[in-house]
Amino acid sequence: MPSSSTQKFLNKRIFWVYLISGGFVLSTILFGLFISSVTIPVPNIIHIIFDNVFGWQLVSDIPNNQESIIWDIRLPRVLLAFSVGASLALAGAAFQGLLRNPLADPYTIGVSSGAALGAVIVIFFQLTIVGLGAFTLPFISILGGFIALMLVFGLVKIASRSMAIETIILAGIIMSSFIGAIISLIISLGDQDSMTQIIYWLYGSVGMRGWSHVQLIVPFMVVGMFVLLIHYRELNALALGEEAAEHIGVNVKRGKYFILGGASLLTGASVAVSGTIGFVGLVIPHLVRLITGPNHRHVLPLSFLVGGGFLIIADLVSKTIIAPKELPIGVITALIGAPVFALLLIRNRLGKGKTL
Amino acid sequence: MIQVKDLEGGYTTNRPIIRGVDFKIGKGEFFGLLGPNGSGKTTLFKLITGSLPMKTGEIAIDGQLISKLSPLEKAKQMAVLTQEAHVSFDFTVEEIVSLGRYAFQKGVFKSLSKNDRMIIEEVMELANVVCYRDTQFRLLSGGEKQRVLLAKALAQQPKVLLLDEPTNHLDVKHSFYMLDLLKRWQREHKLTIFAILHDLNVASLYADRVALLNKGTFQKVGGVDILRNEQQLEDVYEVKVTAHSHPHVPKPQLLMTPNLEEPKAKKELNESFKLEQNEGFIHLEFDEPLRTISNSVIGEGIQWLKHFCNFHVNKNYDGGDPIDDMENWMSNWGIPTELSAGMMTAVQLEDMVLVNKTEHGMQLVVMVTAGVGNAVDITSSGMDERINQIGTINTMVFIDAHLTDGALVNACTSATEAKTKALHDLGVKDPFTNTHATGTSTDSILIGVTQRGEKTPYAGSGTVVGKAIGNAVYEATKKATVKSKSRLDRR
Repeated sequence: MPSSSTQKFLNKRIFWVYLISGGFVLSTILFGLFISSVTIPVPNIIHIIFDNVFGWQLVSDIPNNQESIIWDIRLPRVLLAFSVGASLALAGAAFQGLLRNPLADPYTIGVSSGAALGAVIVIFFQLTIVGLGAFTLPFISILGGFIALMLVFGLVKIASRSMAIETIILAGIIMSSFIGAIISLIISLGDQDSMTQIIYWLYGSVGMRGWSHVQLIVPFMVVGMFVLLIHYRELNALALGEEAAEHIGVNVKRGKYFILGGASLLTGASVAVSGTIGFVGLVIPHLVRLITGPNHRHVLPLSFLVGGGFLIIADLVSKTIIAPKELPIGVITALIGAPVFALLLIRNRLGKGKTL
Repeated sequence: MIQVKDLEGGYTTNRPIIRGVDFKIGKGEFFGLLGPNGSGKTTLFKLITGSLPMKTGEIAIDGQLISKLSPLEKAKQMAVLTQEAHVSFDFTVEEIVSLGRYAFQKGVFKSLSKNDRMIIEEVMELANVVCYRDTQFRLLSGGEKQRVLLAKALAQQPKVLLLDEPTNHLDVKHSFYMLDLLKRWQREHKLTIFAILHDLNVASLYADRVALLNKGTFQKVGGVDILRNEQQLEDVYEVKVTAHSHPHVPKPQLLMTPNLEEPKAKKELNESFKLEQNEGFIHLEFDEPLRTISNSVIGEGIQWLKHFCNFHVNKNYDGGDPIDDMENWMSNWGIPTELSAGMMTAVQLEDMVLVNKTEHGMQLVVMVTAGVGNAVDITSSGMDERINQIGTINTMVFIDAHLTDGALVNACTSATEAKTKALHDLGVKDPFTNTHATGTSTDSILIGVTQRGEKTPYAGSGTVVGKAIGNAVYEATKKATVKSKSRLDRR
């Protein structure tokens, strides 16, 4: 029967896609640990990791400084890059599915800006909410992102009844500009030193963060990922439009809240630990859809994997391209992402009805 | 199956669009909702699907109030198909149809079960979209898209199917294909269908019952024969409507008349046609089409025609396929068959009689060719077995009048009575029974009217028109019979 054979082929194909994506992530992690100013041989890297994770003392003659470079500096940086990239790509895929808009991304619809404002307020005023401690930063950041998202939606609702693709982007840009102005205001109230610090932070970077930041993002990432992955069918159904999705039995309102909540969680936590890194959530899901098709069952997990790997590479480029100085990672992703964004926009305008 | 009580609601709560609607739809019934734009069809539809909140009233499916059902439970009961066919991203046809099983998926991973897959295959087969299985939805044509969405709706295995103008963007072929399919599914699965239909004629053919919605309330609910009420439709749609019957299905079909003031030519009837006559045929061509009733070989029934022909055939003409033969003759002479009436006769065409008359200011033109070799007394029993006698009476009557369909039938009888009287006065006998003949065995008649002036509902012997027809036909038939008879006698 031809149907079952195509089914098998597809299953087989999707298996390979997952395998390759997994391999891609592992190799980017290895590259991230290996390539830097001080070269440490790969076996040593592996030994250090096994030693720290499992307590296996396979080789005893690894120098202490190598161990601290890998374990205290490079590994947390690589893991942070992965977490941020994975979170942003997954959030982007979810936003795109929910809004039926291939141009949506935490950055283009203004969520990142809201989260950044929250983060800047916490950093600048040194706020700590009792009971949250270090988690004040991601918490306020997520809250900021969610509020910005609600404001953008409100703006779109007032501007046009239909959630037109361009209107959402436009509202996102308005929101970003407005929040950018507020951030500038806050910055200009401070001294020179904190100004440089915040501006550099805003460009986005995963360097010089250490394990503490990995600990900050991982719980949110896990929860957000779980929430989004169990809603893949709702995201598929929403491609029919909200009313039609309701008609096949989707509780659209509840689904929307969960998906928006999950995606905001991922975005806010990412921004809190790394600043605003744009376009990851735009480019990666698009790339994944080109390979697997639009089924969110695969788009979501694969965006997660590929996004993580992608940001490790971007970080690698940012710290090697003008070594010994470092470029903010947001610059790299914007250099790649903005042209892709423009291309998608043009394609979308040219072929009306032809969605990506 | 569906019960709607005192329903009121709309987009805003203070100004409801639907104002007090009550109806019931039985199990397995196809219920059509009709009404002009802005009458509230879509609002009522959305109130039933739950897309709009109702202000008062209740809607129950199978005894359960739909306001109490969760979206999931509702989706197991009813499926919805709207006219919008937009799907974001490049989903394939199979993926779209699979979405119909959303409400039925169980387990942690909510993947498709074997049963789900079987149902998906079945509905894709039925909707004839299996060949597009892996095609992207957006690449399909409008008709194909609609079929895919129908398959998705049927994959829900609904008890009730709600349709909002399901054939809106479809051509005739795809509309009928889709509706036939629905009708079949309705019968086989006892599916209850509630459909907004904008085409009155389609509704008449497919619906079991219809409701006419106007300004938010039901004007009329009942079987499709309520559509025969022309006045009611005119009030609701503000278009002139004429109800007819479908020629093959016992259902009403409606014809709309455009509101145009067409200047009718003031030319006299006897100046508004050209006559061409030779040995082979007589051809009358009118400037404007005439409303005709006839039993001619081509152009039978009630029609609008411009060309009227009478062809001469050999007396040994076998008559195997007269329609085909006549179409050939007409196209040979450049006469458009679709605008023509054609008769045939073995009588010499020179013996044709054309009578021009004006009675009570009414113009008539009558053309008759007559042969009485086959004269028959229709009241006698027994069939004459002799064939191939020259003899048939072809009568064409053109009148400058405005007759209803009933008056056209009346006009036929009037002409026939006059013909019979003419034969009687000439003493024409049925050679078989030797009684007075009433006509010949193959007579043809045609009445053509200009439809100008006052509309007349009768054209019998008690009317001016009837009398005029009688006089003219009597005169022409008599002359023509004498002419052809004397030719035969001379031989």
